[in-house]
Amino acid sequence: MTFGIEIKKLKRTGYLPACLGAAALAALFPAVNMAARSETFTVMPGAPLDIVTDASWQVMAMLNVMLLICGACLMYHIEYADSGIQKMSSLPVRPGQIFFGKAAVTALVMAVSLVLETSALSLCADRWFPGFEPDIREIFIRAGFQWITLLPTGVLMLLIASLCRNMWVSLGTGIILVFTLSVLPTDNPAAAFLPFCSPFQTFSSASGQGLIPAFIAVCLTESLCFGIAELICQKLRRYFE
Amino acid sequence: MNMIETHNLTKSYGSFTAVSRLNLHIRKGTVYGFLGPNGAGKSTTMKMFLGLTAPTGGTFQIDGKSYPRDRTAILKEVGSFIEAPSFYGNLTGEENLDIIRKILGLPKSSIEDALRLTGLAEFRKRPAKKYSLGMKQRLGLAGALLGRPPVLILDEPTNGLDPAGIHEIRSLIRSLPEQFDCTVLVSSHLLSEIELMADDIGILNHGRLLFEGTLDSLRSSARISGLPSDNLEDTFLAMIDGDNKCRGRQKGGADR
Repeated sequence: MTFGIEIKKLKRTGYLPACLGAAALAALFPAVNMAARSETFTVMPGAPLDIVTDASWQVMAMLNVMLLICGACLMYHIEYADSGIQKMSSLPVRPGQIFFGKAAVTALVMAVSLVLETSALSLCADRWFPGFEPDIREIFIRAGFQWITLLPTGVLMLLIASLCRNMWVSLGTGIILVFTLSVLPTDNPAAAFLPFCSPFQTFSSASGQGLIPAFIAVCLTESLCFGIAELICQKLRRYFE
Repeated sequence: MNMIETHNLTKSYGSFTAVSRLNLHIRKGTVYGFLGPNGAGKSTTMKMFLGLTAPTGGTFQIDGKSYPRDRTAILKEVGSFIEAPSFYGNLTGEENLDIIRKILGLPKSSIEDALRLTGLAEFRKRPAKKYSLGMKQRLGLAGALLGRPPVLILDEPTNGLDPAGIHEIRSLIRSLPEQFDCTVLVSSHLLSEIELMADDIGILNHGRLLFEGTLDSLRSSARISGLPSDNLEDTFLAMIDGDNKCRGRQKGGADR
């Protein structure tokens, strides 16, 4: 029920069209990149899908992270702009239900975007690397891994947005965090697991280092911790409001 | 039987006490006027009833249920409107009410009922951000009345309404206990307004309850204390003024 209500709240905000637009833009990027520099990439050694992904993923991940930041800010802006959240808090809703509803919407939107993006990568590999055969299972495995690496960033961004009544504060915080953390070297194992950094990690690079299980465990733990932090913040807020 | 009861209910923010050892007794099926100047602690008290802010001391029961143990059960029974109307501006009036309806698990017909009661039926398809202040106020009231809850907590519900709207909403509030068998707690800083709709009143100043009882008992109490009793507005102002002077003397004594 909460999921349906959270979807309904987004009506006329432009959230869903913007998400689809950003996903389409991210999916379009590898095609444009390959079309413009195909001779650079087609001579490279390695698996075609890994080459295409490595060539475009940084930009695609940045678009995904930006989408998460703007999406989280928008979701809480509609709550605070006309005090809708105050009405929600005076209704028989369990603490955290609104937050986790928004997290579920974000997770679903990201899943759809990532399937679209990994499909685009696969289609590019098929187009520019003769002999490459697209594999649906591979597309879903890669999309699933990227989804898990995006999860802590999405949940942390929702936590930040829920704490800031002014949308510009949460938007600014998100932008600062993405640019601060994304300049950290991705080969640094500790930095790679941080929110805002993990989405830039590619499946091929993580599997090459044998870090897939570690990424899954750390990202899920981080997401859970941010969810618990939200519940604590909500409880504390009642004492100061 | 009391529908709402508080026992030494207190809310402090650091050294500032917004509500001090409040003992309210709100009878079932009545309209209780909660009166006090701005900053007296009326909204804070109402927010505590809704779990929007946690009490720092004391307890309260609504329909025999205690906070915080029965928070969800209390909220299922309470329709509320606090400070300013709360809504989603991007949604229409009807969509706003539908969200509340879904959470409360009410039938779809309850939306029609609330819209009709508050005179918003013809504006149901208009986005709430395009509503006038009075219409937003009515939407807030419609949200509180949805499903005809047994307890209504209304914080200055006539703010922003035109004289005709004030009269209409006042008549509606006055008729609610009889029509829907509910108990209404309504706050205002205007005694003239409360006088026209309340059975009992509670007067709050600086977080302390100065008086609780019927309007008649307020008159007789004023007469006994030597306060003006012909005009209740004067009684109220004299009572607040007297309390402020008394607080000033106590503060001065403590400072010395």
